[in-house]
This record gives sequence, C-alpha cells and structure tokens, in this order.
Amino acid sequence: MVEVSGLRVVLPPAVVAVDGVDLVIAPGEFVVILGRSGAGKTTFLRAINRLVEPTAGTVRVAGRAVTGADPTALRAARRQIGMVFQQFNLVRRASVLDNVLAGRLGYVPVLPSLLGRFPAADRDLALAGLAQVGLAHLAERRADTLSGGEQQRVAIARALAQGPAVILADEPTASLDPALTTDIMDILKSINVERGLTLVVSQHQLETALAYATRIVGFRAGRVAFDGPPSAVTPPVVAAIYGDGR
Amino acid sequence: MRRAALFVGLIVFAWLLWDTGADPVRLARGVPWILDFLRRMVPPDLQVLPSALAGALTTVEIALLGTAVAAVLALPLGFLSARNVAPPLLFYPARVVLNLFRSVDTLVYALVFVAAVGLGPFPGVLAVVAYTTTSLAKLYSEAIEGIDPGPMDAVTATGATRLQVLRYGVLPQVLPLFLSYILYRLETNIRAATILGFVGAGGIGFYLQTYLRMIDYPAASTALLVTIVMVMVVDTLSSRLRARLI
Repeated sequence: MVEVSGLRVVLPPAVVAVDGVDLVIAPGEFVVILGRSGAGKTTFLRAINRLVEPTAGTVRVAGRAVTGADPTALRAARRQIGMVFQQFNLVRRASVLDNVLAGRLGYVPVLPSLLGRFPAADRDLALAGLAQVGLAHLAERRADTLSGGEQQRVAIARALAQGPAVILADEPTASLDPALTTDIMDILKSINVERGLTLVVSQHQLETALAYATRIVGFRAGRVAFDGPPSAVTPPVVAAIYGDGR
Repeated sequence: MRRAALFVGLIVFAWLLWDTGADPVRLARGVPWILDFLRRMVPPDLQVLPSALAGALTTVEIALLGTAVAAVLALPLGFLSARNVAPPLLFYPARVVLNLFRSVDTLVYALVFVAAVGLGPFPGVLAVVAYTTTSLAKLYSEAIEGIDPGPMDAVTATGATRLQVLRYGVLPQVLPLFLSYILYRLETNIRAATILGFVGAGGIGFYLQTYLRMIDYPAASTALLVTIVMVMVVDTLSSRLRARLI
C-alpha cells in the first residue's frame, strides 16, 4: 500500500531528517512510527505525500507514484492519502462542515468549489465522515468553538471524507490529554478495523504505540532502527530506538 | 557613543530649522492674520450648503468606488507578493511593481489622470484606484505572510489545487483582516479625495478651493464644516464596522 525506497530528506539549510529509509506497508496494517522528537518521524510522514520534497528515493502509495509525479498526478495521489496533524490544522474561523468538505476538494469541480459550492453527494460524504467520528451534531459550529479532542475528530473526518486508501497521522494525540489520547487512538483503530484502511501513525508514547499497532517501526536519527510486531519490542529494542535507556 | 549620537542629532535638527526657514518670530507675526482669517469665516454662508453637500457626496462616491475597485484588483497582486504562497517566479516581479507604484501618492496620480481624461470625479476615482490597489496589496500580502501554515498544509494534503488551497486554507484566515484594511483605506481615501478637488478631480475640495480663491471665506467655512462632518461620519461608521470584524 505504501512503498518507500531509499528515501532521503535534507531540510534547509543542511539537516538530514530522513537518511535512507526503505519501508513497505501492506494494506490494512496499523503501523506506529516510534521515536524521539527529532528522529525524523514528521518529515518521513510529510515526505509520503510530498508536503516535504524528498531529496532522493521513491514513494508509491496505492499503486501510484508520488515521487516524480507532475502536479496533476501528485494531486490524484494525495487524494488517496488522508492526513491528520498534531495541531489539527483546521481553519479556525470556518464551520466544522466546511472544514470537512475541504477533504472533497480533490474530487469536486474546481470553479464551483472556489465559490463555495459542493455537489450534494460530496456534502453527504462529508457528513458521513462527521458521523463516523460522532460529531454530526456540530456540523454548523465554528471550528474554534470546539475542544481540542473534538477538533482532532473533525480533522479525522476531513481525512475520511477524502475516501482515502491510507491515513497518515503525525503525533495526533501529542496536543491532547491522556483521556483524549485513548479517544482518538480508538477512533483511528476503528477506522483501521472497520474500513480496512491502512494507518501510519507517529507516536512518541511507547505504551500507546504498543496498545494499538499491528507493527512498530522505530526511527532513530532518520533511519529505521527497528521494524517488527509490538510483541518483539523488548527493553533492548526500546533502548535502540530511544537511546541510552533515558 | 550616546553623547555623539545626541550631538549629531542636535546639529541635524538645527540645520533642518535653518534650511526650512523655521522662525518662531515669523509664526508669531502670522497669528493675527490667522485670527483674521478665522474671524472672516464666521458666520458660515449657508447659501452654499447645497453645493457643498453635493460636493461632499461626490467625494464620498470617489472614495467608495475607488476603494471598492482597488480592493478587488489588489487581491491577485496581494497573493502574488506574499512570500509564503506566491510562485517564486512571480513573487519578485510582483514585489517590484508594488513598491514602484506605492511610492507615488494619490494626489500625484490625480494630476496625471486629470491631464489624461479631463476634469471631474472620474480622474479622482482612477487616482484612488491606482494608489489604493498597491497599498492594499501590500497590506494583504503582509496578512497572508502572517497566517498559520497548518491549515494550508492540511488543504494541500487533500489533493486540492493551488487556487483551492488559497480559497480554503488561506482566505478564511485573512478575510477579516482584509475587510478591516479595506475600511481603513476607505477612511484615508475620504481624506485624500477631499484634496483631489484641488487639482480638478471633483468633490468637496473643488468647492473649497474655489471659495478660497474667490476670497469668499464664509462659503469656504461652510465647505470646511461639511468636510469635517463628512470625515467624522465616515470614520465613526467605519471604525464601528472594523471593531466588529476583529
């Protein structure tokens, strides 16, 4: 589903954030990327949909080449990749529904969409996404009137509205308190199980990662330091990912 | 160091006083003349009130139409000269155009347009458009450069086109600021449009200047009072609207 080969990302001025990563993720996997902050998790995820331009290597998602794609092909590839961010990244002044409708932008006719018009079928998909995260009743509210946990659920609905094959989630719970962490991770897990969507989630909390993942990929200094099932994450592995046991 | 700066400052100040012919004695000698001027303005000649009001209406029209047209024209220019959203190839030319045209004041534009299209409110409108477009574009671009990049990333990740990203990731963030800037520009344009009449570009300024030339001080005082009231009314309305926006 996600095929990454020889991926290297150098961020300006000269920070090697991802340093040669090969990774193949099968359909339906729930992969948690573990690692300290600065290990390259965020850059790795953002390189998968080219929010960050890879310096070298190839990325394919759901059979489409992401690297080397021209702007039109890149947009077609991005439609299949939902993304959830640590800071939710909602448009604060827009309504919840408008935020979720943004997930349909890759599908709807461009000109009407610039005037704020969406086909009825796309509105229905947006509302269905909201229903899946249990927020259909808040559709008309302004996004910034919602709590942090609710905002992240809206962001997940936006990703679901894309009808994606994969959802990338970059530290989706790092801005939330522990109770909400469970909430959000449960929702992501249910999407993975019920819809069979492939999930790639970065986390810095070990316990959360082990509780939800079907596969753990440990990042250290921009490289894969561990790749295996949660049951194989032993203390030496943890030390290898986090370093020095600290 | 500080003492040297103070010394240099004093020398420059003294030179400025000398070179501009600033002379307190001359000012003091002028005071009776100013008082005489004011005395002759009382009472205002209310017979010219209808034409003064018509002139004021024209001034408001010039400012309104000019600001409205400029507000729209400034949109593409504003986006093109915002570093974070403009294609690099267009960013620098847009910035150069902006800085070039912005250094010319409305009054200078009015002189040019009066020469080009003749007397009346129309060259006034053109002058307001010419100056306001670039000054608003500059304000727009600064607002755009100050946005939260998160929502932009999120909308980009859905597979949206560049225009859709601007419409859904950027515009909702900056729209209230834009409206506030437009109103602010309307306020300053009312003042600018008052002066435009002096160079033949229509409105209350034309009457004011004519009365002053005819040494008809009571009539001039009516025109002046109408101007003051007009500016105050527009300022009040506009600042109330602006307060609601933010």
